[in-house]
Amino acid sequence: MIEIEELRKIYQMGAVEVKALDGVNLNIDKGEFIGIMGPSGSGKSTLLHLLGLLDDPTSGSIRIEGIDVSRLTDWERTMFRLYKLGYVFQDYALVPELTVKENICLPAMLRTDRTPKDYVEATRDILHQIGLWDRRDHLQSELSGGQQQRVAIARAVVNTPDILFADEPCANLDTENSRLVLDLFREINEKMQQTIVMVSHEDWHKEYFDRIIRLRDGKMVNGGG
Amino acid sequence: MAKKELKVALFLAWRSLVRGNRSSVLLNVLIISMVFTNMMFFPALMSGIGVDIKEQIVAYQTSNILIEPAKGERYVTDLDATLSLVNGMPGVERATPHYQEGGLLKFRGRLLGSTIYAIQPREEKYVSPLYTTMIAGSYLGDGDIGEAIIGEMVAGSPNIPEEEEFNPSLGGVRVGDSILVEYSSGLQKEYRVKGIFRTGNYDMDNRVFVSWADMEEVVGEPLNYAPYITVKVKPGYTESFVQNELLQYGLREKVETTEELLNKGIGRALASFSIIGLISMLVSLVIAVVVIFIVIMIKTLNNRKQIGILKAIGVEKSVIMHSYGFQVIILSIAGILVGFLFTGLIVVYMTYYPMVTPEFSATPYVTPFDLAFNGVVLFVASVIAGYLPAWKVARENIQHAIRG
Repeated sequence: MIEIEELRKIYQMGAVEVKALDGVNLNIDKGEFIGIMGPSGSGKSTLLHLLGLLDDPTSGSIRIEGIDVSRLTDWERTMFRLYKLGYVFQDYALVPELTVKENICLPAMLRTDRTPKDYVEATRDILHQIGLWDRRDHLQSELSGGQQQRVAIARAVVNTPDILFADEPCANLDTENSRLVLDLFREINEKMQQTIVMVSHEDWHKEYFDRIIRLRDGKMVNGGG
Repeated sequence: MAKKELKVALFLAWRSLVRGNRSSVLLNVLIISMVFTNMMFFPALMSGIGVDIKEQIVAYQTSNILIEPAKGERYVTDLDATLSLVNGMPGVERATPHYQEGGLLKFRGRLLGSTIYAIQPREEKYVSPLYTTMIAGSYLGDGDIGEAIIGEMVAGSPNIPEEEEFNPSLGGVRVGDSILVEYSSGLQKEYRVKGIFRTGNYDMDNRVFVSWADMEEVVGEPLNYAPYITVKVKPGYTESFVQNELLQYGLREKVETTEELLNKGIGRALASFSIIGLISMLVSLVIAVVVIFIVIMIKTLNNRKQIGILKAIGVEKSVIMHSYGFQVIILSIAGILVGFLFTGLIVVYMTYYPMVTPEFSATPYVTPFDLAFNGVVLFVASVIAGYLPAWKVARENIQHAIRG
């Protein structure tokens, strides 16, 4: 599903070149729940951003479902993200002026293949699935951290994306809420055969992943598949 | 851009305004409304001053049409026949002559140079509202001899010492007092002050009026001639219509409408007022553009991360840009509507309490065209000023935006 070859990302910090990713090769199959782990500065988030089309590699290629995404125009990348990918960010990244329900259905509202009836139903189903139906008309400021992250996950999967990316989604949560969120990921992965790529630095998260990709200094240590 | 995307942009804009920082929204609306009011107020005041000056000149000095002597002549001669001809014209309400003589006014040691105007008081009532402006005493009668009415600036105040007076006066003449007039011919005549008037027009309030009969005594002959005749036009007739009629009937004197006179006399001053008004409007517009640009720039910079997130989840940059654009559109419309209200309130207030200066009494003069034009100009400027920062931030690289 995802094929990466010799992926490099070099940042220029003044006169110094920082190799955030240095020749990563990786294959991810459909339905896999992948954990990307490694110490701080190892390139975990950079890899996730490149896979998620949020950034451009310095060199190398990424093919998703056979499409070389580096050849896509800016608009095509936006559409690719809208139709094929879902994102969960570390700090939830909800729109504070929208209610839970509105936040979840926002990406679906933009799709030409979704009618209002479709996305209202999809939002309702997801809200029931994440257990926040009763909080559907609340704003972000009226939710706990765990609830906010569940809403962010619901927003990411409302369009039933091919791949779900999560960048340290439990970084701001306590263990109990982290477990709730990870259980939700696992449920989505199992029930919907959802491919999930998740960055984490918590060792105990390993139990949820099908495969772990370990990075160090921008290089893949193991788990390339 | 598809309808669906515009709908989402409007949805995001509306939610941001309704559920975002309300005081910020109110402040933005207030700023735009104040800018609109400022754009309207000063030019409207300038127009109002122009209109007021025109109205005062028409009301008290020239009326709608002025008949002056033919080229090379000093007076309109055969006055009775001319007045009879003009008064018989269709569209003429009344024609009345004015005569003037220079003179020196003397009162309790004060000396004041002035012009003494002779009018036919009863006829003058049909042409000028002077008789309605008496603040003390009464208006002249046709048979009044040795009596005069004087402007309040001629009368002056007993409480202001001569050396402190801005406008020279007789230092506090009251009704019933006697003033001595020394005409340029050398004739001296004492007048009892019958009334004091206040028109609000600087030139008028510096005048002295006597009756036609009195002036005939001064010049020592029947006044069948006058330096000019003022003509009041009936409602429903235009000045140019009456002017054409008079010329077609063979009147050999110079016949000018107020418009022509004003263009010659104070046209440049009125044009200057318009230019000052336009400059004021442009300055206000620049302020509006800068303020709105800064407001939206700050808003977009504060929301950079959110903009990055929206782009990351597949929201097109045009949707993001339009969502800020719609916010500006809504804020501008609300601000302009509130500005309409403020402007209306100011106009209403100043209609009842005009700004009074020694030269004029000004009320802002606002036309529906002015309101619409300024509203559209401000709206367009606001939208451009709002879209620019939104366009800039929406184009930003997702990673840069998310990192803030």
